[in-house]
Amino acid sequence: MSGIGLLARHEWRRLAAQPFAWILAAVVLALMSWQFLLALQAYLEISPRLGGLKDAPGVTDLVAVPLLHSLANVLAFVVPLLTMRMIAGERRAGTLPLLLASGLGNATLVLGKFLGALGYVLALIALIALLPLTLELGTTLDLGKLAATLLGLAAYAAALCAIGIACSAWAAQPALAAAAAIAVTGLLSVVDAGARMQGIGNAGINYLALPTHLQPFTRGIVSSVDLVYFLILATVALALAARRLDDLRASADL
Amino acid sequence: MDDTAPVLQLDRVGRRAGARVLVRELSLAVTRGHTLGLLGVNGAGKTTTLRMACGVLAPSHGRVLLDGQDLYEHPHLARRRIGYLPETPPLHPELTTREYLAFCARLHGVARGAVGAAVERAIERCALGEVARRLLGALSKGFRQRVGVAQAIVHEPALIVLDEPAAGLDPVQALRLRELVRELGRAHALIVSTHVLPDVAACCDSVAILHRGVLRHCGAVAAAADAGFEAVFARAVEAALWQRLPMVAAATPLDVLRWRVHLRAGADSAALVAALVAAGAAPAELQRAAPSLETTFLAIAGSDVAEAA
Repeated sequence: MSGIGLLARHEWRRLAAQPFAWILAAVVLALMSWQFLLALQAYLEISPRLGGLKDAPGVTDLVAVPLLHSLANVLAFVVPLLTMRMIAGERRAGTLPLLLASGLGNATLVLGKFLGALGYVLALIALIALLPLTLELGTTLDLGKLAATLLGLAAYAAALCAIGIACSAWAAQPALAAAAAIAVTGLLSVVDAGARMQGIGNAGINYLALPTHLQPFTRGIVSSVDLVYFLILATVALALAARRLDDLRASADL
Repeated sequence: MDDTAPVLQLDRVGRRAGARVLVRELSLAVTRGHTLGLLGVNGAGKTTTLRMACGVLAPSHGRVLLDGQDLYEHPHLARRRIGYLPETPPLHPELTTREYLAFCARLHGVARGAVGAAVERAIERCALGEVARRLLGALSKGFRQRVGVAQAIVHEPALIVLDEPAAGLDPVQALRLRELVRELGRAHALIVSTHVLPDVAACCDSVAILHRGVLRHCGAVAAAADAGFEAVFARAVEAALWQRLPMVAAATPLDVLRWRVHLRAGADSAALVAALVAAGAAPAELQRAAPSLETTFLAIAGSDVAEAA
């Protein structure tokens, strides 16, 4: 356990020392802030007309949740860029033997890397969540729905981090790892598109898709089925990453 | 712990990569206070052997024993007891020397409270004081190599494994590193791979020569290095001359004017020169003959050429 924490803290320290992580955070924050302001302006324009409607959507539905939903789409590209170097970069720089010779097990190494990446992404989500939360100063937010959306986003981010780590373990080049992670995430996002176009929404193929399990959170529904889906996805991806480290230890090709 | 018991023992270890044999049936042992030099041309299997010795690469067959326990059945043993410097120092360029060494100490299980002292000790032993606050990415090759050694010793392991630590260093840096390796070898079990034969002669107690994955020679450096002296004369001398000199164990002619001379135990070259001058056969030159280590290594490394011919 101490090994996992040590590696996670080390990853955070390394990320904090690299301009790349700061620039990535700045770009995402700027993009989300711009989107937040646009959504807020649109809401202010239509809000007088909403007053007369029964059960009209509020600022949470029209500004906060769409913003976080949009962040989920951005994370599909940001997380692979963040995780691409976690193992593939170590291999390329020749620093992986330091970890492999440390006596820490493969599961510890993978979990440490995973928590390192997830810590950064959760901090990013928390920063962006502050944008809609500022609205609480002047209006009333549906904090329950917002909390559910953030919980779903965190689970979704954990799955993306695990996929990114797995791709970084299997690819020899960081760029290839990022491309593979974006492709896998993209595939899992649209895998049920055909079924949905046919009007099928509850088949096995729908269960595989990421959006199927993220959307209930944005409606304020916290379902254990959805949490278990993200948990399974993350576990399988991390197990594959650990398996790959096993192979690397046995392959003489570090 | 018994100092004569091997810290590391490779027991008929072998490693394959597909159909290709990288290392075949290799057995070696290293005890505390003993430095083993691993020699071989590129592709001889040195790096593969070292990776197996320190738990990075699992052997295809055979056992790696660390303090008598199988390293691959108990991989956690490596954490505190092995320090490994790969061919390329595994440095994180965005960290300072001190930050990096602190991480390595923790990674190898040094208690949080003892990390500061361990890092300072490693910095002092590897003479890294002037770069302790510098980013690793900004260090020269020599300092990077020394930081690599420092990360291998920061947790005071029983076994230190250094893969070509002097590669790419200038002569002054190489000399300093040689002194450091010699010092480390006194307190730890140490394996060092190198291409540089004088490094082996200067730092190692024993030498193992690998060729095409096979251990072709293993023995003490001191024994291997005693190749006698080569004496050159301005005019021919008779074989009977050597029999009259009590310090000479054997003398063989190399040509009319050159002789290979082996001295008896305890005799030195000054006594030989004095005796030759007294006998009226002062040598024009007297130098230590090329060490047999070099001869042995070149013979093994060149055996392919001979076999091909």
